[in-house]
Amino acid sequence: MAEAIQKKLKAEVEKYAQMQKDVSKSMSARQKLETQLAENNIVKEELDLLNSSNIVYKLIGPVLVKQDVDEAKATVAKRLEYINGEIQRYESVLKEMEKKSEQHREVLTSLQQEFQKAQGLAAGKV
Amino acid sequence: MAEKGQTNVEHVGGVVRLREQHEKVVKDCESRMQHWRKVSGDYEALTDRLQTLPDQLSYDIMVPFGPLAFMPGKLVHTNEITVLLGDNWFAKCSAKQAQKIVDHRMKYVKNELDDLSKTMKNFEARVGFAKDLETISANKGDYVDIREEVGNDDAALTKGKQRIAHKPNSKPKLDVVWDLKEEDEEDEGESGDGGSRKGVMTEEELWARLDELEKLEELQDEQDRLSDNADMNGEDTSSSSSEEEKEAEAAPPVNGLSLKPSWSSVSDSKAPLSTDRKKDEDDDEEEEDNCLPTIFFSHTVEPKKVRINTGKNTMLKFSERKEQKEHSKRKKKNGHNNGHCHHELHKITTPADIYRLFVDVKNGEPIPRKSILKSRSRENSVCSDTSESSAADFEERRMIGRSFSHDEHSDTSDGITEEDSPTTVPLQLPSRYEAFSGTVIEKDPMPSAVPHLTISPPALPTILERKQEEVAPDVSPPQQLPKRVSKFKAARLQQK
Repeated sequence: MAEAIQKKLKAEVEKYAQMQKDVSKSMSARQKLETQLAENNIVKEELDLLNSSNIVYKLIGPVLVKQDVDEAKATVAKRLEYINGEIQRYESVLKEMEKKSEQHREVLTSLQQEFQKAQGLAAGKV
Repeated sequence: MAEKGQTNVEHVGGVVRLREQHEKVVKDCESRMQHWRKVSGDYEALTDRLQTLPDQLSYDIMVPFGPLAFMPGKLVHTNEITVLLGDNWFAKCSAKQAQKIVDHRMKYVKNELDDLSKTMKNFEARVGFAKDLETISANKGDYVDIREEVGNDDAALTKGKQRIAHKPNSKPKLDVVWDLKEEDEEDEGESGDGGSRKGVMTEEELWARLDELEKLEELQDEQDRLSDNADMNGEDTSSSSSEEEKEAEAAPPVNGLSLKPSWSSVSDSKAPLSTDRKKDEDDDEEEEDNCLPTIFFSHTVEPKKVRINTGKNTMLKFSERKEQKEHSKRKKKNGHNNGHCHHELHKITTPADIYRLFVDVKNGEPIPRKSILKSRSRENSVCSDTSESSAADFEERRMIGRSFSHDEHSDTSDGITEEDSPTTVPLQLPSRYEAFSGTVIEKDPMPSAVPHLTISPPALPTILERKQEEVAPDVSPPQQLPKRVSKFKAARLQQK
């Protein structure tokens, strides 16, 4: 009885660890997005500082490709939006994962209690 | 003690960990600030360079050639600067435009630095606090633990309950009465305290009590109605407490009984509450073990001065202590009310004294008054010396409420109580506030309204007293005048 519970407990713990990993992955991805967001914001503002006489280049691989200033501004704005959307998505995913991990945690605690009880019983019997 | 010590150790450990975490954050902030300061320095250098660069059309420089070599070269197009805007975006601009961009970036860096410094300050404060916490836990600081022993919680309990929580053994009176009829033993076992008391009663008495209880309940409802109208502070307490008493004792509530709980509960509720609060505070604070200098604080119940409606127009003002009341109550429980009690009781120091003092003598025996609020015929009252002072002060609503409750409790058989109380109460209102001088003035003894049930010794009614009370109702009705007037009404009439 105690052993069965122990096995269950182990399985649950593994699952929980997995969930935690997923959560942390999502977290780091979200953090990356945040830095990108900040950067693009700066780019946007600096582009606004320039006028059309400047030439804007985009680095694609090893090549600097000429871009239109307005086009560049539009592209950056679009990218900003995209990043915002991604952040939202990751937020929701994180929330879900949090909930799931909470549930898992509860299951774990209940299992642990059972296990302890069983152990106590076993000790008593012995 | 061991547990306390253990918790203390754990507490200290927790605090240490907290402090360490805070310090980690602080260090992290510090490193980030370092990074930003470096960036800021770089940008400043860049600004300088940008300002001097366009001075010349070209410069002779040593051009880096790989990681290890330089070669002489020329720096041309000094005003054309390709700026990395971020995210793989470049812009070609003049030195001045580049300067603008650099300034913009500097602003950003400054913002970051400010935020970080704020965070650092915040966490540094927390670290300091955690350190203090540590010293407190380790009993090294100048902190003193103030402890207060919490008294019995009965008062708080009694105060809080509106509709009384029947004691486990005390069932509704009716039930108890019925049970008693079936078997005395069962009754005693079931009703617990009440049962033990009831066991002494005879069947007839039980019937009588049943009636009384029914009326009491009606009165209770009436009282609640009145108390709502009256909007009194102590009223609810008194009613609830009196109800409790009623339930607990399973006997027609005697004024003393009802009074006692109400007074004491009102006064004591503060004490337990405050003590509880104190206790909570203590708990919230650092858990000082015995090691810490401890001040033991005991909260003394401030004697509450209450005005009691001892009769239709009588008012008593006294202060009492619940313990004293209970004590006397217990005393009374154990012993039959004896006549000799009277002389001792003439000196009133606690509310219980009042009950002891005001005893109706019936058939040559001092019968405890059920309710001293009920105005008794002077003849019946042993302590019939009423003075202006006693009748004077009426602590408004509280007293009214109490009188209501008391009257209700006492006037079980009549059912007139509620009517009576209004009349009695207004009369007492105008009286001035005075300490009880040991005398009770009965301005207008209610003829029929006087609840015979309120005939009770000043002391809390004991089982025997209750028994007497039960008998009393049977006896007293004949004593009443033909017309029954509610005490409230009577008081009103008198007022007019």
